[in-house]
Amino acid sequence: MGDVTDADLIGQLKDRESNALGVLYDRYGQVVYSLFLRTCRDASTAEDLVQELFLRVWNRAQYFDPQRGSLGVWILSIARNMAIDHSRSARVRFSARLRPMEEAEFKSDPNSAAGRPESGIDEVRTVRAAFSYLNQKQKQVLELAYFEGLSQSEIARKLSEPLGTVKSWMRSGLSRMRETIKAGGAK
Amino acid sequence: MNHANIADETYDLYVLGVLDAEDKEQIDAHLREGCEYCTTRLQESEKLTAAMAGIAPQVNPPDALRARVLSSVVSPTRVHRPTYWIPALIAACLALLALAVWSFSRNADARRQLAETRNQRDVLRLALAVMSRPDTKAVQFGNLENAPRGRVFVNKHGTVIFIGLGLPNLPAGKSFELWLVPALGAPQAAGVFEPDDAGRAVQIASAGPDVANRAAIAVTIEPRQGSPAPTSKPFLVVPLS
Repeated sequence: MGDVTDADLIGQLKDRESNALGVLYDRYGQVVYSLFLRTCRDASTAEDLVQELFLRVWNRAQYFDPQRGSLGVWILSIARNMAIDHSRSARVRFSARLRPMEEAEFKSDPNSAAGRPESGIDEVRTVRAAFSYLNQKQKQVLELAYFEGLSQSEIARKLSEPLGTVKSWMRSGLSRMRETIKAGGAK
Repeated sequence: MNHANIADETYDLYVLGVLDAEDKEQIDAHLREGCEYCTTRLQESEKLTAAMAGIAPQVNPPDALRARVLSSVVSPTRVHRPTYWIPALIAACLALLALAVWSFSRNADARRQLAETRNQRDVLRLALAVMSRPDTKAVQFGNLENAPRGRVFVNKHGTVIFIGLGLPNLPAGKSFELWLVPALGAPQAAGVFEPDDAGRAVQIASAGPDVANRAAIAVTIEPRQGSPAPTSKPFLVVPLS
């Protein structure tokens, strides 16, 4: 199962082959767990969200349309929407309990997702590398938009910066990521 | 606005959901016209922004999470003696395993059958675990011998277990589909299932962290592969509060 492509995987999921879900988890489990942990800052909640995500994927695999995008894009988009939904509800209910990310204990294993054929994980690694070339301001505004779903106006208010400046950082950050990826500097 | 003047990152901002209303409307207008250029650029942006999940600090999930995820995901599942809840489920686990081992030596399709049986065993184990937790709420429905009846278990993590008895026979090519029904909004598909010959079935779903907002579960009859939205009137609705 180690050489299964994302295209093969979705076919197996549609055939209700539960082994395919194990492959899918091995491929995307770390990325989505890290995404949820970054968003909700609570390991137990992140685990619940991972479980819910894969259950959704399993239950909705029949409706996946490869014409509209890859399996990786589909899963990671669902994960981001779930993370933002949780972030927004948690922000209202538990904002006083959130703690800075610096306090979280991370054990990083950047190599564990390597070597998977024709999967969305390849893009994840490429984008991660390209993101590392951005300056701190560009990273900050893109993280607030991506992980917390904040609008540019909300980001400007949160950072006490002019809206035009935030827009400029965001556009220049995205543009630089694209240039880095295009130039092959993110490999 | 000519789409040739739209910078690539504008599509990224559109997908990120942070674009100004005016710029967003311009892209929406192109998409409504079926603009292939905009559609292609949008797909590229979806790929880029989805991959931004990787900018989170990478953390290895707990080893136990994999088993938890796999055991919560089920194929249509049959239970053999659901009336005697926990002992019956344990007995069913053992019987299914024994059947699988016996079958393994008898035919070439046994490996697939064994995987399916293990999956069913995991489902039953998860059901046992959820049902035995003190924070799990049980809702009973139906009390007539010859009518659909059973229980719905819901825990605080959002796991929902539907156990049905006396379910009717399905028309050819049809399955039951479970729905999580919010207080407001559209029902959420929670998987298709088929009962055994005696009309008994178990289905496990996740309502997510906002389980308190799920007002009810419902069951409809749908095409075998399921439907993204209900296409028939539910024959069963169970309020969760």
